[in-house]
Amino acid sequence: MFSKTLFKKYALPVVALFALSVTACEESDDTNPDDSTLEHPFVVSMAVQGSDNTFTYYTVPFEDVMTGSLSALGEGIEQPGYYDFTQIDETIFSIGGLDDVNVVGINYSGGELTQIGDVSFTNSISDIVEADDNSLVAVEMSSDSDVVTFHRVDLNSVSVIETVNNPTSDLTDELGTSYAGMRVSNGHLYLAYYVSSPDTWETPFTDQAEVAVYSYPEFEFEGIMTDDRVGPVGGFNVKSGLISDENGDVYAVSHTNPANGYSQSTQPAGILKINAGETEFDEDYFLSFDEVAEGKTAAHLVYLGNGKAFAEFNMDAREEQARWSDGPLQSAIIDLNNQTVEFITDIPQHAGDGRRLALLQDGNTLYRCIPEDNGIYIYKIDLNTLTATKGALVEANFVAGIFRF
Amino acid sequence: MRGGISLTLLFLSLYSFAQNSSKAVVAGKVVAANGEALAGVTVMLQNTSHGAITNDKGEYEINSVAEGSYTLVARFLGFETFEESITVSGSEKLSINITLKDASLELGAVEVVGKSESQLLREQPYAVAAIRTKSLYNSSANAKEVLNRVSGVRVMEEGGLGSNLKFTLNGFSGDQVKFFLDGIPMDNFGSSLSLNNIPVNTIDRIEVYKGVVPVWLGTDALGGAVNIITNKKNNFLDASYSIGSFNTHRVSINGANTNAETGFTFRGNANYNYSDNNYKVFVPIRENNNIVDSANVERFHDRYRSGTVKLEAGFVDKSFADNLLLGIIASANDQQVQTGATMNTVYGGIVRNSESIIPSLKWNKENVFVEGLNMSFFNSYSNIKSEVIDTLRGVTYNWLGDTTYTPGSNNGELSRTYTTLTDNEFSSQFNAGYTINTKHSLAFNYAYSYFHREAFDTENPDNVENQFPKSIRKQVIGLAYKLDVSPKWSTTFFGKAYLLKAETSKQFDFGQTTQRTEAVTSNKDNFGYGVASTYFLLSDLQLKASYEHTYRMPWANEIFGDGLFTQDNPDLGPEQSDNLNVGAAYGFRMQQDHQFNVEGSFIYREAKDLIYQVVKVSSPVTNYDNLAETRVLGVEASASYEWKNLLRLGGNITYQNITDQADSIYNESYTNTGYQKNFQKGFRLPNTPYFFANANAGVTFPEVVGSGSTLNFNYYFSFVEQYFLSWAELGSRDSKKVIPRQTSHDVELSLSLNEGKYNVSVECRNLASARLYDRYYLQKPGRAFYLKLRFAL
Repeated sequence: MFSKTLFKKYALPVVALFALSVTACEESDDTNPDDSTLEHPFVVSMAVQGSDNTFTYYTVPFEDVMTGSLSALGEGIEQPGYYDFTQIDETIFSIGGLDDVNVVGINYSGGELTQIGDVSFTNSISDIVEADDNSLVAVEMSSDSDVVTFHRVDLNSVSVIETVNNPTSDLTDELGTSYAGMRVSNGHLYLAYYVSSPDTWETPFTDQAEVAVYSYPEFEFEGIMTDDRVGPVGGFNVKSGLISDENGDVYAVSHTNPANGYSQSTQPAGILKINAGETEFDEDYFLSFDEVAEGKTAAHLVYLGNGKAFAEFNMDAREEQARWSDGPLQSAIIDLNNQTVEFITDIPQHAGDGRRLALLQDGNTLYRCIPEDNGIYIYKIDLNTLTATKGALVEANFVAGIFRF
Repeated sequence: MRGGISLTLLFLSLYSFAQNSSKAVVAGKVVAANGEALAGVTVMLQNTSHGAITNDKGEYEINSVAEGSYTLVARFLGFETFEESITVSGSEKLSINITLKDASLELGAVEVVGKSESQLLREQPYAVAAIRTKSLYNSSANAKEVLNRVSGVRVMEEGGLGSNLKFTLNGFSGDQVKFFLDGIPMDNFGSSLSLNNIPVNTIDRIEVYKGVVPVWLGTDALGGAVNIITNKKNNFLDASYSIGSFNTHRVSINGANTNAETGFTFRGNANYNYSDNNYKVFVPIRENNNIVDSANVERFHDRYRSGTVKLEAGFVDKSFADNLLLGIIASANDQQVQTGATMNTVYGGIVRNSESIIPSLKWNKENVFVEGLNMSFFNSYSNIKSEVIDTLRGVTYNWLGDTTYTPGSNNGELSRTYTTLTDNEFSSQFNAGYTINTKHSLAFNYAYSYFHREAFDTENPDNVENQFPKSIRKQVIGLAYKLDVSPKWSTTFFGKAYLLKAETSKQFDFGQTTQRTEAVTSNKDNFGYGVASTYFLLSDLQLKASYEHTYRMPWANEIFGDGLFTQDNPDLGPEQSDNLNVGAAYGFRMQQDHQFNVEGSFIYREAKDLIYQVVKVSSPVTNYDNLAETRVLGVEASASYEWKNLLRLGGNITYQNITDQADSIYNESYTNTGYQKNFQKGFRLPNTPYFFANANAGVTFPEVVGSGSTLNFNYYFSFVEQYFLSWAELGSRDSKKVIPRQTSHDVELSLSLNEGKYNVSVECRNLASARLYDRYYLQKPGRAFYLKLRFAL
């Protein structure tokens, strides 16, 4: 019955066909490199653009960010979509934007990054800020919505404790209230906003700064502070219209710069101050960009301590700015008390990302990610000398955040 | 479509000669012992190259036979070989009718499937899988489920009955793979007439062309084509009712009546589908903005209803036409919308519906004016009105069906809308085929379609986009030349021209003071070419190879969106591809009772501007975009075994590595604008299965409850390896969003009585109640039962 000839005739083609499929099925399963436990890792949230024009974010721990290159290959927490990252205490919050409505906390424990909590909102969250020792405030403020929604979020469990809706009609009768900055200080919640048409993105109202005041923790509307020494506070998507210091004083920056979302400017640019617990601007304080920076304006502001803030100044004249360009930028330190600006000249002039600044403060050292022509590099800044050193190359299309646990 | 088939037959008539009056003709009809005409029977004069293959009426004609004595041989799988000595003299017309004796009588088997049209199709130079659905008639499956069992094919669905389908064929998906119903493009049929609701017993067979698509289908599909051939018997009635889990009901009535004398024929098909789709899904429960739990809950807003009536009347086998049919399809569906592109979002108020009216005219005739010239002509007009309704204000649902109301909010659940889309489409196709002689034949195809959409949103009447005309005009012209060097070797050369004109609107200078929406028109003219060849190394071992340089034009929903979850993309361009397919098929019988078939193929494709559906985990909406450069490397293999038609075993396996090959990506935003490095070059494409397999086993028990009865048991297994929602290599594996590995088991038991007149079947799908996802985070039903009753005359 069974003959060699028959075997050859029948079986060989079968064997050949399956060999073809089997060899092709062998897959190079790349194994994850063992995550050796890091003591105080740096964490970089890297955004990679795909050929389909979507972005995926990878939040990856690194021991060293000053040498070699930083890659997410086989490592890090993956989040496809649009995410804004901000660190509060020992938790990095990834805030879903555009169509994403979730917020997830990222901790470092047991030698690896872990996700905690999962809150999901009706609309995207504009920002999350620290409110008191255990609570955060998250705000939903969409330019095409009729409500401003505040959520009180438990810092440790990353869960929503309370939600309060307020009408946008408290702020303006116009459609297009846009988020510019938020701070909670001494029982008040300060919410900076500007009006930008959700259809044309025009900003027709630029004659005064407006900051809404709500009571905290009740979120009851208390009133609007205005000041016409400058235009509206903050700008598009950079989330840094308001900063606060260790005394509870709040500083409001106004730039009305086309590079950060304004279609016109009708007032000078500068920084105003709200003293701790007050509901009016300090009439005696005004840091004029015309005076301290020859008219260059800053949209990105991060408070460092002792009256100092890190800023990115836009080096083109405000009148000549290309809209939404967020650049060209030069890093600087502003002394809010002495009203001086010192540029960090070791860092080359660079492009902005049109979003929250990726900046890490580690004592007297700052780490900043700078896009250059041939890639994004980490720069380490010594705050004592204001000198900077160029570090690792980041293998990403932009960096959304740099943190350290 | 008849043109399609007749052309196929024409191509297959490897041995037919052109008319030559000086020589004799041998002609006749081949029937089975029960009198049924047999199509596709090879009739040869032994030891000559003269021969023919019977047409669908069982007729054959061997022309140009020189005087002499011959042995006339007729061969057909499953039948005994017929041999008869004949003597041909002068220019006579010798009529020899042949009755083939059923080989199964000797084998003692009950049912024999002969060398069917599906098998003939498989032997074309194209990479084609032909599926006969006859054995599935008692199944409650629909066209979609049948297709899913073909190697290289994945039909990915978003949920239960009526949900959106995504069809992938060797990694090509969406409109890269075109669907035809009887050779007529299904593009313009509307959502109420889709793969989902074509019941299996209205289908005669399904042809799946992988890669190169024959010219006569007249399409710009670059991934392949699926042609669903419906029943064409002249007189029949087939009615079925199926009831199943999730309150699913399906009714189908299908019939034809033809007057043999006048040739007047009337065909009709009506079907109705209903399902609540309230199957359980495992989902996060949101309460007061916290994800409090994940639980198994019933879907609560997913009802689907559809009804279709198709009527055709006309004449068959007349001097002016082989077929002249006037038809009309009327169909309607309505559907509650439970989720968007992922189950992260849940809706309780969104609904959509659609109504279509599609009149059509078909004509075809063989031997028009001259012998060997076959023509077909098809025209249809479709009017499809669909509505997308999202009118709740400030209401959000969670998966428990609880609502949260935000006072003062005017936001819709997704985006408040009441949009009416009125689509009109005219489609016309002309085919001509001419057989010059045994070695040379030509085919020509011209396909024209014009699509026009009007959209109006009563919730947003000033919507700028809706004020611009949206239309697409598409023409495909194809010419093919077929060279049959020998009966063993056949090669087709073809060229195609693709002409597209699209009118839509586009927003310019977003966010600038110059921001505006303007009408845009784009004209794209491309030319493609290719060659497909097949060679029989042994009588049972066939080799196939094809190469094509081809284009695919974007189609209406890809450019214009669907008014709800699919956003428009006026910049979407045509995609270009170089496709190479190489394959082999081998079939053999051992000791009479054991039939083996194995088939394998290799696919290599380089695509530019691949049209690709972008699914974002974060968002309920998707859109289509061009991927600059992609490469497909794939293999597939299938094997089947059959013993005496009583036992069937089969399986197929597909591996396809589709990778991004672009060096750079383009950043469109206003910051860091321009080309940047593509950090994902060489990585496998997101959200696309790359390794999957199917297996099936079937047993037939004849005469279990009296003569003419058959009991069938079938088992289907399906496997899909886990794949990622994002590009494959970045991020730790445990944090990546995955579509998990899936295995599913379906079983089916059917009983036929009275020679198939009465049938009943029970089916259990997803026997193990596994959590199955075809698309990221869109869960399919768990274990489900279906009962089907069918009456056939």
